[in-house]
Amino acid sequence: MTGWHPVTLAAGLEPGTAEGTRLFGRELVVWRDESGQSHVWEDRCPHRGMRLSFGFVRGDRLACLYHGWQFDGAGQCRHIPSHPALTVPGTIRAPVEPSAERLGMVWTGAGPGLPPDEAAVPVRSLALRVPGERVFAALDVGKGMRSGTLVILQHGARRLAAAVQTLSETESTLHLAILGDAADHRGAGQAEISLWAEALRRTLEEA
Amino acid sequence: MAQAVILFTGDFAPDAFGAFVQHRAARLDLAATLLDSAADRIRVAVSGAPEMIDAFEMACSLGPLSCLVRDVTRSVA
Repeated sequence: MTGWHPVTLAAGLEPGTAEGTRLFGRELVVWRDESGQSHVWEDRCPHRGMRLSFGFVRGDRLACLYHGWQFDGAGQCRHIPSHPALTVPGTIRAPVEPSAERLGMVWTGAGPGLPPDEAAVPVRSLALRVPGERVFAALDVGKGMRSGTLVILQHGARRLAAAVQTLSETESTLHLAILGDAADHRGAGQAEISLWAEALRRTLEEA
Repeated sequence: MAQAVILFTGDFAPDAFGAFVQHRAARLDLAATLLDSAADRIRVAVSGAPEMIDAFEMACSLGPLSCLVRDVTRSVA
């Protein structure tokens, strides 16, 4: 996998929660610890393969639902409930992916291309039953400015960040945020963009 | 630090079981040495944290798909 890919809206990922998602068919867990730091990992406990997105956040650790193994923010297993006195070997780790928050979204990836940070008002994420490339085409990239998985486009008086997450060969998620301050775009601005995105989805899925 | 010798008996693809043993030992931070490796018995010497040796025995009692572990006998090294 190259470049950077959005996996969720940052505002929707509350401290102390975890959610599952996919990227090119890979299962990922996106979680936010109680201090506010977000994380993206492979969604698989190294113990018995349970999805970590079914687990619970405990402070700065993610605990697997199955046997309660706890992993710190670096993915290192720190606590095994059935062996509370054990110093867990450094070899027991959850696979951690690089991650960052930009434009009101959580991103994962590698190398150059991470979007610059800019104030953004989150709108919504829409699941689409179409390939990611079709979403890019529909965003009228000729008028927008595409960089990797992000398109910056003008919608009336508002500038939008539209980022496309490819879930699989046939499914994608469109993450939307309005660039600028909340005072200018919250409420009516979010509703306007949300309705536009729903119409876009209908057009794409019915085509 | 603890040491043990674990004898697995059953029906084995020795190479597959040996690879499985080494992978699980590395995951559990154990040193593992194959002492015997045959189609009906695999004997492994392991050392490391006692809890991890227990976990190793459990993991290997399942084994890879190509092998069937019928019995496990553990002795002190």
